[in-house]
Amino acid sequence: MGRNCLIWVVLLAFGASQVSAERDAPSFENDVRPVLKAHCFHCHGEGEELASGLDLRLKRFIQTGGDSGPAIVPGNSNESLLVEYLTSGVMPPEGTELRPSQQEIQRIKEWVDSGAVVLNDEPESLPSGFYVTEQEKKHWAFQPITSPSPPMVNGTADNAIDQFLLSKLEAVGLGLSDRASRTRLIRRAYLDLLGIPPTPEQTDRFIADQRPDSYSRLIDELLTHHAYGERWGRHWLDIAGYADSEGMADADAVRSQAYRYRDYVIRSINSDKPYDRFVIEQLAGDELASLPFKNMNAETIDLLTATGFLRMAPDGTGSGSPNTNIASNAVMSATIKTVSTSLLGLTVGCAQCHNHRYDPISQEEYYQFRAIFEPALNWNNWKTPQQRQISLYTDADVARSAEIEAEAAKILEERETKQAEYIAATFEKELAKLPEEVREPLREVHATPAGKRTPEQEALLQKHPSANVTAGSLYLYDQKAADDLKSYSDRATELRGTKPVEGFLRALTEPADTTVPETFVFFRGDIDQPKQAVQPGELRVLSSADSTIPANDTSLPTSGRRLNYAKWLTSGEHPLLARVIANRIWMHHFGTGLVNTPGDFGILGAKPTHPALLDWLATELMTNGWSVKHLHRLIMTSRAYQQSSKRNAQGQEKDALQQLIWAMPVRRLESEVVRDSILSIVEKLSASAYGEPVPVMADRTGQWVIGQENLNAGRPGAVVDMKGDQYRRSIYIQVRRSRPLAVLETFDLPELAPNCTKRAKSTASTQALMMMNSSFVVEQSESFADRLITAQSESENQLKLGWKLAFSEEIPADVLEISLQFLADTKAEFVEANPEQEMVDELSHRHALALFCQAMFSSNQFLYIE
Amino acid sequence: MPTNNDKWISRRRFLANQSLGMGGVAFAWALNERSLSAAPKRPELTVKTFNNDPRQPDSEPQAKAMISLWMQGGPSHIDLFDPKPKLTELDGQSFPGKIKYDNAAQASSKVLGSPWKFSNHGECGMELSELIPNIATIADEITLIRSMHTGVNNHGQSIKALQTGVTQNGYPTIGSWLTYGLGCESNSLPPFMALIDPGQLPVEGVANWSNGYLPSIYQGTVIRPTEPRILNLTPPEKLAGKPQERYLSLLDKLNKRHIENSPGELDFSARVEMYELAARMQVAAKEAMDLSQETEETKNLYGMDDPDTTEYGSRCLIARRLIERGVRFVQVYTQNQYWDHHGGILKSLPSSCKKVDKPSAALVKDLKRRGLLDSTVVHWGGEMGRLPVIQNEANIGRDHNTYGFSSWVAGGGFKAGYTHGATDEFGHHAVENVVNHFDYHHTILHLFGIRPEELTYEHNGRRRKLIETESRLVTELLA
Repeated sequence: MGRNCLIWVVLLAFGASQVSAERDAPSFENDVRPVLKAHCFHCHGEGEELASGLDLRLKRFIQTGGDSGPAIVPGNSNESLLVEYLTSGVMPPEGTELRPSQQEIQRIKEWVDSGAVVLNDEPESLPSGFYVTEQEKKHWAFQPITSPSPPMVNGTADNAIDQFLLSKLEAVGLGLSDRASRTRLIRRAYLDLLGIPPTPEQTDRFIADQRPDSYSRLIDELLTHHAYGERWGRHWLDIAGYADSEGMADADAVRSQAYRYRDYVIRSINSDKPYDRFVIEQLAGDELASLPFKNMNAETIDLLTATGFLRMAPDGTGSGSPNTNIASNAVMSATIKTVSTSLLGLTVGCAQCHNHRYDPISQEEYYQFRAIFEPALNWNNWKTPQQRQISLYTDADVARSAEIEAEAAKILEERETKQAEYIAATFEKELAKLPEEVREPLREVHATPAGKRTPEQEALLQKHPSANVTAGSLYLYDQKAADDLKSYSDRATELRGTKPVEGFLRALTEPADTTVPETFVFFRGDIDQPKQAVQPGELRVLSSADSTIPANDTSLPTSGRRLNYAKWLTSGEHPLLARVIANRIWMHHFGTGLVNTPGDFGILGAKPTHPALLDWLATELMTNGWSVKHLHRLIMTSRAYQQSSKRNAQGQEKDALQQLIWAMPVRRLESEVVRDSILSIVEKLSASAYGEPVPVMADRTGQWVIGQENLNAGRPGAVVDMKGDQYRRSIYIQVRRSRPLAVLETFDLPELAPNCTKRAKSTASTQALMMMNSSFVVEQSESFADRLITAQSESENQLKLGWKLAFSEEIPADVLEISLQFLADTKAEFVEANPEQEMVDELSHRHALALFCQAMFSSNQFLYIE
Repeated sequence: MPTNNDKWISRRRFLANQSLGMGGVAFAWALNERSLSAAPKRPELTVKTFNNDPRQPDSEPQAKAMISLWMQGGPSHIDLFDPKPKLTELDGQSFPGKIKYDNAAQASSKVLGSPWKFSNHGECGMELSELIPNIATIADEITLIRSMHTGVNNHGQSIKALQTGVTQNGYPTIGSWLTYGLGCESNSLPPFMALIDPGQLPVEGVANWSNGYLPSIYQGTVIRPTEPRILNLTPPEKLAGKPQERYLSLLDKLNKRHIENSPGELDFSARVEMYELAARMQVAAKEAMDLSQETEETKNLYGMDDPDTTEYGSRCLIARRLIERGVRFVQVYTQNQYWDHHGGILKSLPSSCKKVDKPSAALVKDLKRRGLLDSTVVHWGGEMGRLPVIQNEANIGRDHNTYGFSSWVAGGGFKAGYTHGATDEFGHHAVENVVNHFDYHHTILHLFGIRPEELTYEHNGRRRKLIETESRLVTELLA
């Protein structure tokens, strides 16, 4: 049923990290302040005014209390107003939606009863409003990245990664598992790096390679493969929120030029563009490029294309949104969300209306951060997506195009003349059918433009509606005339089609040499309530001496805010950038990040399971020219990555979630990998790279399928031949927000809201139904059978080849036996059911073999990386 | 594996009780959760999922299910439901008022009195045309609305108005809204199904059962008139039955063998269970559409013994079977422009009526005798009616009219044996107790226990609703 799914969605329990420790005695810092910050500080401490004179930011303030007296009496929750108000629901005030949970309130009660303990000395005095506590400042992710030495361990380590992992494993009496078989290993490496399984030849070659470094040679080889950029480019596109449509408005207008950014990402990843450079280009490519953006060279085009990163947010401003300010503000906030969750691993966006409830980020800081982007995304002088496009037309293109347009205009002029003649003739013909006396008056009506007719004339026309011959209704009378006129239009259209195609860049550029707009704090995030102006700045908890961002860098024609910010971000001093990307790379190799909330390294995010390893990886990245491929090599040549995925009782008992990585975690294939692998195995996967996306349309039942839309009164018309494009890799299929491709959506496409830092991995009956019944899987299974029949004549050899193509291993003897029996039974049944069928032997064999292939595609062994 | 492993146990429980936690968006707090507020939200760390578990609306619903018999193209109300003696009187004369013609070339201002006779039916005395003798026998069960109005004189837009409340593309249909709000009683059938005609797809194609901006699980599932009836839910014909059983059994062997070598991979076992569930769903779907289980008497009631009515009759019967099995919303379509009688109305209107008259009446009767009518809304109607004047004198027909037309509804809390509203003396404009598409939607939602302002979905920062403008609960229509 594709997207019309029934429910039965089962999310994997993988996500739930944070092994809950034994409960400590309640403290202000751990149990009370976070709750009060989330729910109460807004009025009681961080607001402009102190409600009821009560400040809840420090324990001693609480004890002092406000207008109603002390809010707590340590040791006695029954006497404590704070507990009473929270328990009875008087506070937060009626109508507040987000409320503390019963458990949280209970914990506060326990805190009061146990004497209202504070772990650290409270500050002597507090400035009014927002402040960051010592504990928040000490949050792990805000600390400088360290370069820890790998610990000494007992077990065998192939590299430092193993040492970090082993030290934790050994502490609980575990170790790494044995190395996986060579066949498992090559399959794992191919699926991880290229997103398609190895061919039997590639597998055999690897197994036969006796050189001691054959495995690392394999990794090196795969990293030079073009498919590597397509596989890992897709990971980046998830966090960039890449889409080929604008979203927001219901029309979901197509972004016809966004693909250039997708191609930039693939190229950059394949060339192992240093990650720092990759980030700088995407945040501020335009500020590096040389003006003017006309008749541009390849480098300038590349730099501008990179800024497409900041143009991926849903953007309804070009689609007739009723309130432009709100719409443009929405683009800005979505862009900030994308930047902060993807690069910083922080949910900065939460501070748009209000100080961040959980992280030490004030509302003012949100707007300082926003000020970095505002000169280019200026809501006060907004540009729609169309207006932001940068033409790739050269002066020569312009001249040629103008010539062609002039010729086309000539043809259309002729058409006008012809049309007038036809209308006149048809009108006279209709007139002839009417009574003599109305003809002359109707001629007058006809000669009068529609808007200028008298009521009498209108009435006359009402009475004789057939005399109302117009350009719009001519076809109803004289189809031949209409066809003739159409031939003129067609010729003009055809001629116009020969113009040099004007390409555009979807880029973000900041107007040069203009006044830099001021950024204001918006009260409650409301664009109509601007408060104080702010200067661009890094978030306080991430700041250092080097993080200053000048309001206007005079060495540049633009404000230079984004460029200076990007430089600071990639300076090697920033506590988050390298950690966040190292964590993401780890996540794509092991299924789970060292921090299991890859988009949130803040207070509410998961704690790193291996903080030292994370820092070590981040440092490795930075000290090796920010080479992502270097990190792949390190990770993939570790013993940890090469170990077997088979779980053992010991590990299962101590760490069933596999957070310590005592075996290689099993991972379900992403939707793109499912589709691409199937196409690759049946030898249909197109090698065509880059360029315009393969379009998606509705089929006759409303499923989104690959195809060129060809609608007739809202219904699908003739099918347009896709000429092999239907077999392109999934990364080249149009990402239209409102049209998720059915075969991909079933296996959890990323939700772009506005970007996706972690995909869902569901196990759903709709997936089973797709594998059982979808035309895609059924057809590809038949192609698979055909491939096997062409390659081998004996059933046994066909099964052997099929198994190896699907699973990169030899078919086990017992499976071969089962499968031969399956073929025989299924064939016999087919023959019995179709006694009259010609060539029944061939047909029944193909039928049985296709079902065998379909069973392989449907199996767990195919759908998971082990 | 240790059997006391918490994860293992909770996982098992999780599978056993699929409506648990994560996916469960109970009606009441779904509304709460999605309401808009100035307060910052807790960052979303988990991926939101939606489901079709059944949910209870705020107030006790009268209707639990709905079947919409969609007569696209615009059945001529003045020839079927809305007698106009004035037109008979003026037959052949020039129309005395102003009319907007859609097709000028064939337009004529000559009045066409209905060539068919009307008479009173049932205890309520509802006046209906001789073209629908079977519907006439359920006059005492239905509410006839003679004052429908969308005011957009174009098939596509008027259809969208009635399906989604909006004349543009991209909005969720009322069936999607209802399943989004209420889920589905059945755990093995899709909650919203569209039974399409063997002829062409209806106008606007898939927009008729579109989920619009709602999550795609609320899209209507197309029941194709031939096998496979439901894509992906029923196997292609060549695989149906034994071949697929063999495939599933081989797959099961492969998976179980693989699981033996992968102890503790709970997802592997979960996926095996998903194949089992999928197979059950197939059985359920097949069973629901298997009319051989019905008695001859029932099949004949739906006209399945007559070649003219057998096809539509079988789909009406399937609709009843689906509702019986807990499906929330079913649409039964006639083919593209089936009722769009611009020409040849003298012959084609009777034959269109012949196709649906008996099956439509049978559906109401059958639901009633099974005690399902009280909780099932049946809707019968198109997106427009037709003009009182002739179009195309050479081959008489009638042009479009969305300013006043008729539909009927039955069951689910609608009044029985009642005629509501009126058009002007020519049947051109609805003039009395006008029911527009907003009012119609409001009333339907009400019967399902839903207040229109409460069924909302946050999309692109806006709180969207089925009815985004003023609307009225048409209390006169309620039993």
